Formats: sequence, structure tokens, C-alpha cells
Amino acid sequence: MMQLKALMVKEFKEAFRDKRALMVAMSMALLMPVMIMVMLKVAIKEAVDNPPVYVKYSGAQYAPKLIAALENKNILSFAQVPADEKRNWNERNIELTIPEHFAEDMAAGKPIELILRADFNEKSLSTPIRRIKTLINEYSLSIGYKRLLVRGIDIKLLQPIKLLEQDTALPSSNAMMISLILGVYLMMAAFMSGLPVAIDSSAGERERNVLEMLLCQPVSTLKIVLAKLSCASAIAIISIILMLVLTSLAMNFVDLTKIGATFSIDASTFAILLLLLVPICLLAAALQLLFAFQAKSFKEAQSTVTMLIMVPSFIPFALMMMDDKPAWVNWLPISGQSLLMEDVFKGLAVDWSALFFTSAATIALTVLLVWVLAKRLTSEKVVMSLS
Amino acid sequence: MIEVNNLHKSFVSKKNTVRALDGLSFTAKDGEITGILGPNGAGKTTCLRTLYGLLRADQGEARIDGIKVTQEPIKARKRLGIFPDKFGLYERLTAYEQIDYFASIHGMKGIEKQTAIEQILTDLDMHALAHRKTVGFSQGQRMKVTLAQALVHQPKNFVLDEPTRGLDVMSTRILRAHLAKFKAKGHCILFSSHVMQEVAALCDRVIIVANGKMAAQGTPQELCELAGETHLEEAFVKLIGSDEGVAA
Repeated sequence: MMQLKALMVKEFKEAFRDKRALMVAMSMALLMPVMIMVMLKVAIKEAVDNPPVYVKYSGAQYAPKLIAALENKNILSFAQVPADEKRNWNERNIELTIPEHFAEDMAAGKPIELILRADFNEKSLSTPIRRIKTLINEYSLSIGYKRLLVRGIDIKLLQPIKLLEQDTALPSSNAMMISLILGVYLMMAAFMSGLPVAIDSSAGERERNVLEMLLCQPVSTLKIVLAKLSCASAIAIISIILMLVLTSLAMNFVDLTKIGATFSIDASTFAILLLLLVPICLLAAALQLLFAFQAKSFKEAQSTVTMLIMVPSFIPFALMMMDDKPAWVNWLPISGQSLLMEDVFKGLAVDWSALFFTSAATIALTVLLVWVLAKRLTSEKVVMSLS
Repeated sequence: MIEVNNLHKSFVSKKNTVRALDGLSFTAKDGEITGILGPNGAGKTTCLRTLYGLLRADQGEARIDGIKVTQEPIKARKRLGIFPDKFGLYERLTAYEQIDYFASIHGMKGIEKQTAIEQILTDLDMHALAHRKTVGFSQGQRMKVTLAQALVHQPKNFVLDEPTRGLDVMSTRILRAHLAKFKAKGHCILFSSHVMQEVAALCDRVIIVANGKMAAQGTPQELCELAGETHLEEAFVKLIGSDEGVAA
């Protein structure tokens, strides 16, 4: 016990005196709230404002009433675009062609074909195009209804079925996106924050020739691994706590109600997130140590261990792609936490049994990795690569 | 007491097999300084690593105070002070913290630990260095820190792998005096070196290792007589059967 304490004290002393590694570990925590805040601001602006859209009309003179209706909804002619935004809108290039015989066909009750040309795949155009389409449809419908009314027909006849939509997804799609990113980011922070410390205390020590000395001492390799694991994971946990605290503070500066989201990190959310992420920190530290101890040098360790970043970033996205999730996904390490975090951000109740199983599975995997690593450190192969 | 009995060790890789130890046996007794002499690649470091329990011998065994290293490595290592071939320092710790760390690993605590550390700092004349971080230490200073951490728990058996490289004259003399003191107290000291004068001056018994085997053993005087030479260096060259590697 005393040995373990001495080993741990030394690891923590070294970690906290390595300012550079500490900076890297904490930088994720510091950047995250800023990023979330900026993203939210942009999302709110997009959702709430009705920014002007500039369209290149051809044949505007044939349908002045339609143009006026569009203008009412802040959809303006390209001729009116302010000079500083001209280049932007020229590139976006939304064209609306109105045929010459618009007025005649309208009077004759013939169908009129307007042409809307734009890059429909361009994401920045999706909102303007949607607005134009909605407006033209509404305009067209209102004329149609009037025609029927004039002929004495109740327009309700046109709507035998009315679909009422009740959305059970609480936040709007923007907020969903943000919570997804927050989830991935938290997962990454849990996974990557301890990385510099883990590499330094394994491959780094080997490179500085102190590992051999330690392995010659009367101390079990299990204790050595546990000390290094607890140090690297503690740094990751500190980083996550810092990140959560700063994010919940940053949330106070944006008005989420404008986009219908009710996202906040209160005390219970905080506790649940921490409960989910602490086992991940342990697992991540164990994985990093396992990989870093295999490497011959600090550099090699850095490149192989950085590949681990795939794990936390790939799994949540893979889950998103899966439509029918099998039940075991809920219980596996990382995927389980990832799904539970999604629930937490959606404001759903926490599935405690899933939380218990996924945490247990994560910790079991960590214990296994620690055991494997302790065994490996007694092997000749590790010693041979010392020199 | 350190006993090495019929050690065999080969390193097998895809391309070739290196036979590092080929039936090496010797005994280093308590109250004596035993020197291991051998050209580079003779198997000295492999032998010492087997002694620490880092490597497992293919055949044969190493015992420290009668404890088999392979069976109870931790118990055996408790009786061992090690000054390794390649050593590094924890550069973000001070010399004191580092010595303290190794003392704690050896199970020392409280007042006992503090006095032991104070004692070793005084012995090696290190008080001026004690509270500096070890980054930027000179070779001699690093040597002293490593010695201090190996000696702080007053090990019964003490293994040094080329301890005097890089030490200045004063420190070498301090080390020598220290080893003599340990010897007088009845400790067992095993010492590998390339420096003939060092070995001749210090060692009670010398073991000459070549090609993974013991080539000869005895007091420096006996070895000289055995080879019919007046200087240990000449005797050494004659006994290992070639002048290869001596320059190193």
C-alpha cells in the first residue's frame, strides 16, 4: 500500500510539473465551451432571423404581384443586394424564371411553370430555397382557393385528411446537433486528455532510461501500472470536470429558448455525465498505456496512441448510422455511454440498468487491460526493447 | 551473497541466435568486493539483468542470499541495491524527491526514511544538490543521485554496472571509500568495470568473463600469476585469449 502511494505521489508530481502536457490536456476543456457558444449563437441566428434572400429574377415584370409577395417575406431581387454581399449572392446564384405569358395564362387558368435554378445540395442554400418554395406554394394555393371559392366550392373539400404533427424530440434539430457534438466532444476529452501524461509516463520513461531501474525494484508491475493509470485518468477526469463547469457557465450567455431548446447542465445532469465518463477515462488510460508501453520511443508511442482517437470519434457516428440497434449496443463500453449521453441531452430519463451494465463492462475491460499490461511488463520482450 | 549457477541464455531472433551466456557460474561472498571483468559483449549486462530478475535464464539459476530470483523476484530484489548499466533520472523531481521515492519503494517510512536519506546525502556530499531538480545535472551529479537511490535502503547486496564512468576523481574516491565501508560492514558487492586500475585497487576477487563463460577467477594478484604477467591488463588480455574489445 505504501509502495503504491509512493508510486502515485511520484506520478502526480511529475505530471503536474510537466506544464506542456498539462496544457494539452486542459486545452480541450478550455476550447470546448467557446466552440459550443459560438455554434449556438450561429444556430439561434439562423433559426430566429429571417435574413434577406437575393434572387436573380428573369421576367419579374410579368408577375409584379408574385414579386411583391416574395418581397413581403424578405426575398428580394438581386438588383437590391448591398455591395458587400454581392459576391456571396452572385456565387449562390439562385435564379427564378417567370415566363412571358404569366399574366395571360393566369387569366386563362392554365398551369404556369416557374423555374427555380440553384445548387440544391449546397447546405447554406437550403433555408433560402425552402423559404422560396414555401412562399410560391402558398401563393399558388391561395389563388387556387380563391378560384374555387368564386365557383362556390368549400375549400375544406380539398383537405379530407389533416395531419397533425406532434414532435416528441424535445429540442429543435439545431439543438440536437449541438448536443450530439457536445457528446462526441466529451467522449473525446475523456479519451484524449490523459494521453500526453500516459505516453510520458510509459514510453517517455523508457526513453529516459528510468523504466529499467523501476522494473528492477522490489515492486510488482501491477502497482506500477495502477499508479500510472490513476494518474493519467485523474488528469482526464479533471479535464472533463473543468469542461463541464465551463460549458454550463457558457450556456448562461446564450438564450436557448429562442430555438425551443431547454438544454442546460444542472447538478444532476452533471453528476450523471460524470458517472458515465469516469469509467471511460479509466479505460482510455489503460488503452493508452498498453499501446505506449509497446512502443520503442516517445515518438512512436505518440503516433500509435493517437490512432486511438478513432475509437471515441468513430463509435458515436457508427451508432448514428445504425437504424436497428441491437440491445447489446447499450451495454458495450463507449457505445453504451454514447447512447446514454444522447438520452441525457434529449432530456429523457436515464436508463439506470443500462448505465450500470455499460459502466460494469467498461470497468471489467479496464481491469483486463491492466492485468494484461502488468503481465507484459514482466516479460522479457519489454525488457529487451529497453536497450 | 550472490550466487550464479550455470547460467545459459540465448537471444533468438528471426535472423540469428546470439548466445549471451554459456554456463556462467560464480559466487560473490559477503564482506568482499567481487569484480566482473570482460570485453564488450561478454555477457556482463545480461548476467546482471538475470540477477535483477529482468531476464529469465534458459538454464541455471541466480540466487541472492539463497533466494531464487526467478521464484521470488520481489523478495530477492529487496536485498539488492542496483546501479544499472543505463540509468536515467526523473528530471522533473528534485534529487531529494527521487531518493525519497526509491526509499519508499523499498518500504522505508517516517523518521527511519528521513535519517537514511540524510545519511546518504551526507555520505555522498550531496546536500548542495538535494533540492534542485535533476534536469541539467552533470554526468557526475547524475551518478551520485543514482548511487544515492541505490544505497539509501542499505542493501545487503550491491550490484554496480560500471559505476565510475563519468565520475571525477573526488567522487570516485568517495565511491571507493563508500564501497570499502560497506565491505567492512559485511555487505556483498558485485562490481563490473572496464577500468583495470579500479578493479585492481578495489576488488578482493576478480571474475573474468568472456563469451558468456567464466575465463578465470581469483585475486588480482593470482590472476597476474596465472597469466605470468605483472599488470592486470596484460593478464586480462592473455586470459580472455585475444586483445579484442579491450580498447573499449
